[in-house]
Amino acid sequence: MSTQTVALNPVDAARADFEPKIVGFLCNWCSYAGADKAGTSQLKYPPNVCVLRVMCTGRIDPQFVLKAFEQGADGVVILGCHPGDCHYKEQNYRAIQRHRILLRVLRQLGIEEERCRFDFVSAAEGEAFARIMSEMTGVIKRMGPLNRAAAEGTR
Amino acid sequence: MLFVLQIEAGGLAVRIGVYFCNCGTNISEKIDCAEVKRLAESMPGFAYIKSVEFLCSEAGATAMESDIRENRPDRVVVAACSVRDHEETFRGVSSRAGLNPYLMQMVNIREHIAWVTEDHHRATQKAASYIKAAMARVKLHEHLERELIDICPDVLVIGAGPAGLKAALALAEAGRKVCLVEKGPVLGGMPVKYEEVFPKMECGPCLLEPVLGEAMHGPHAGNLEILTLAEVTEVVGYYGNFTATIRQEPRYISHELCIACAECIAPCPAASKNPFNFGLNEKKAIDFPFLGALPNLPFIDPQSCLRMAGKDDCHLCRDACAVEGAVNLGDEAKSAARQVGAIVVSTGAGGYDCSKLPNLGYGVLRDVYNSLEFERILAASGPTAGALVKADGQPPRRIAIIHCVGSLDRDHVGYCSGVCCSNAFKFNNLIAHKVPHAEVTHFFKEIALAGKEEFTLYEKARSRNSTRMVRFDDIRQLNVSSGGNSSLTVTRERPNGRPKQTDFDMIVLCQALIPSHGTAAVARLLELDVDEHGFLEELHGRMDSARSKVRGIYFAGTCQGPMDIQKAVNEGLAAAGYVLAGLVPGRQLAIEPVVAVVDASRCSGCRSCMTVCPYKAITFDTTADAAAVNRVLCLGCGTCVAACPNAAIKGNHFTNEQIYAEIEQVLS
Repeated sequence: MSTQTVALNPVDAARADFEPKIVGFLCNWCSYAGADKAGTSQLKYPPNVCVLRVMCTGRIDPQFVLKAFEQGADGVVILGCHPGDCHYKEQNYRAIQRHRILLRVLRQLGIEEERCRFDFVSAAEGEAFARIMSEMTGVIKRMGPLNRAAAEGTR
Repeated sequence: MLFVLQIEAGGLAVRIGVYFCNCGTNISEKIDCAEVKRLAESMPGFAYIKSVEFLCSEAGATAMESDIRENRPDRVVVAACSVRDHEETFRGVSSRAGLNPYLMQMVNIREHIAWVTEDHHRATQKAASYIKAAMARVKLHEHLERELIDICPDVLVIGAGPAGLKAALALAEAGRKVCLVEKGPVLGGMPVKYEEVFPKMECGPCLLEPVLGEAMHGPHAGNLEILTLAEVTEVVGYYGNFTATIRQEPRYISHELCIACAECIAPCPAASKNPFNFGLNEKKAIDFPFLGALPNLPFIDPQSCLRMAGKDDCHLCRDACAVEGAVNLGDEAKSAARQVGAIVVSTGAGGYDCSKLPNLGYGVLRDVYNSLEFERILAASGPTAGALVKADGQPPRRIAIIHCVGSLDRDHVGYCSGVCCSNAFKFNNLIAHKVPHAEVTHFFKEIALAGKEEFTLYEKARSRNSTRMVRFDDIRQLNVSSGGNSSLTVTRERPNGRPKQTDFDMIVLCQALIPSHGTAAVARLLELDVDEHGFLEELHGRMDSARSKVRGIYFAGTCQGPMDIQKAVNEGLAAAGYVLAGLVPGRQLAIEPVVAVVDASRCSGCRSCMTVCPYKAITFDTTADAAAVNRVLCLGCGTCVAACPNAAIKGNHFTNEQIYAEIEQVLS
């Protein structure tokens, strides 16, 4: 589909050198294990996402995400267990709720929703993990760096 | 000035040693350790970085241990493989080297970087940023200790059906003191009331009597305290240290003295419907629940006894009693406390109320029975002494067995109980035995007969000419009405618009299994989660189905969902297994320090944390006017930490400050 051939777009061409900084918050039980699985499967993906491990997505305080944007992240990705699979029963649902509210806050700050993705990766889904890493990097590359003026608002 | 120096000694002067595992060449061929050193050595606290061929090998671990001893770093970062593989390994190494294991932070530069990154340069840079983040984080780590607490290895089992009995027996055999609490006057649960049980048509009481005999008189009976007519009224404490309060209603008959001669029963002037036969016959105010019930001694029902109801000064039973003191009309309710380390809940299930399907005539029409009532009609210990007869005393000639009553129906229970079909074909076989020429028609929505033995009764039933099978789409298509001549008519709507009428003289409704009242009560008492159907919700439906979400509380049998005797018994043994593995006499319980901790001075008392905790680990301490986390119950997910609007809860080992430090470094 030619409309998606980003290389033709001069703005995107200018961003070709842009290497976004992305923070990934991963739960210990499913998503971190999914990242391990991508590793043992030797799947290659861009190194832009830096992984931080928490025991559960339920631990992710929305302020962690705001802090990441404030400190220079161009994107944040939160990965947890699939619904019903949470090691701590239903804390991933709490994380989903918090993420939804957080998106509204980000919107008010002028930070695009696409910069903060929530997704599910199971311990078996190494491929999904690698795909999400590539997608997230691609999306943020196309969007360009975070508008720093907006990030100031996260303070 | 001195104050400043102390801060430096405790903070900035922290020395961090970094151990870099080459993992053969798995890591080193992608990540350049020398370059990592160049990038990381400017970090405050950096003391050294050392590369090792295989850090997890015995040689590697020994080298790391002696190196820590020699260099005495305050903190250690291990850059190697997955935390999930070797965090425990390197915590162990640190611990052996004299460093608190929680002062070691591991970073995964193999699975998360070396194996997945194409570009060497970028892989090295990313590894350096991970190591720097770990250094920033580990500097803020606290000295944490695994706490050891004393435990009580004894067990409370609630409910004396097959599941609870087997759990109690296994535990008693292992030398544990077990308190088995049963609400009713009789042990054995539902199946002791069944004439025979599927799939092998064994006699229900015969199946259970050896188990009951072992519980009451077996070699380990001394470890088993059986309390009938008893209920748990309060439970405080936590895994390893519960205190349960048990209230026992008076039986008025002495366990020790009664010889079960039954002389007391005949003179009793009061009678009422016998709930143990679902009201199908009467029993005296002093009576056995049913023939063969164990423990083998009568009890007085205070509701129907003239004396207990205050209507009369009757003591005819005591006068008739051959043993002085065996009938004790002054018996009173007792309350007792028991210390236990774990609780097995086996409170069972009940049957769905068939009158909620008014088209089936239950409770209104004569000779329409639910399956539990029909079990009693078939049972030799039941109201008809095992004679299969209608209310008029005549044997039925045409019987309809309606399956799926309330089951597979969103307006009722939704699920399939999985045991009613086997039971229905058991009925078919028992009917054929008792009234050989009776015709049996099975009305069913679905047939569920999974398992290696369950189909045999179905095959036998189908092989009889007297068996008919009629399928319906929706139970609302069936309408039971009273025909003339004491007969019943089942009218079935059909797709062709012409209803089909068939006459029967007895109808058996195979209703869904639902949580018992006792199960609902124990869920409230122990604050256990229930599922959408009201059954107790397991920690994990497949991997941990005998465990509740609360540590130290286990499930067995139909309190957690419909199941057959085999599965219930196995669940009982599974629960016993968990207790035996987790609570060992003389061994202390190790409590992980990675838990949530409340700062009472910051807590505003909003209790948000209590609503999000899946393990009931948080209570409200009214004395301190603050939430309090129980370290034994907390599993360290951190949800309460994120939920606290006042930042009053700290997530040990995952504090806000530690995570912020990590965020800052990976983005620097």
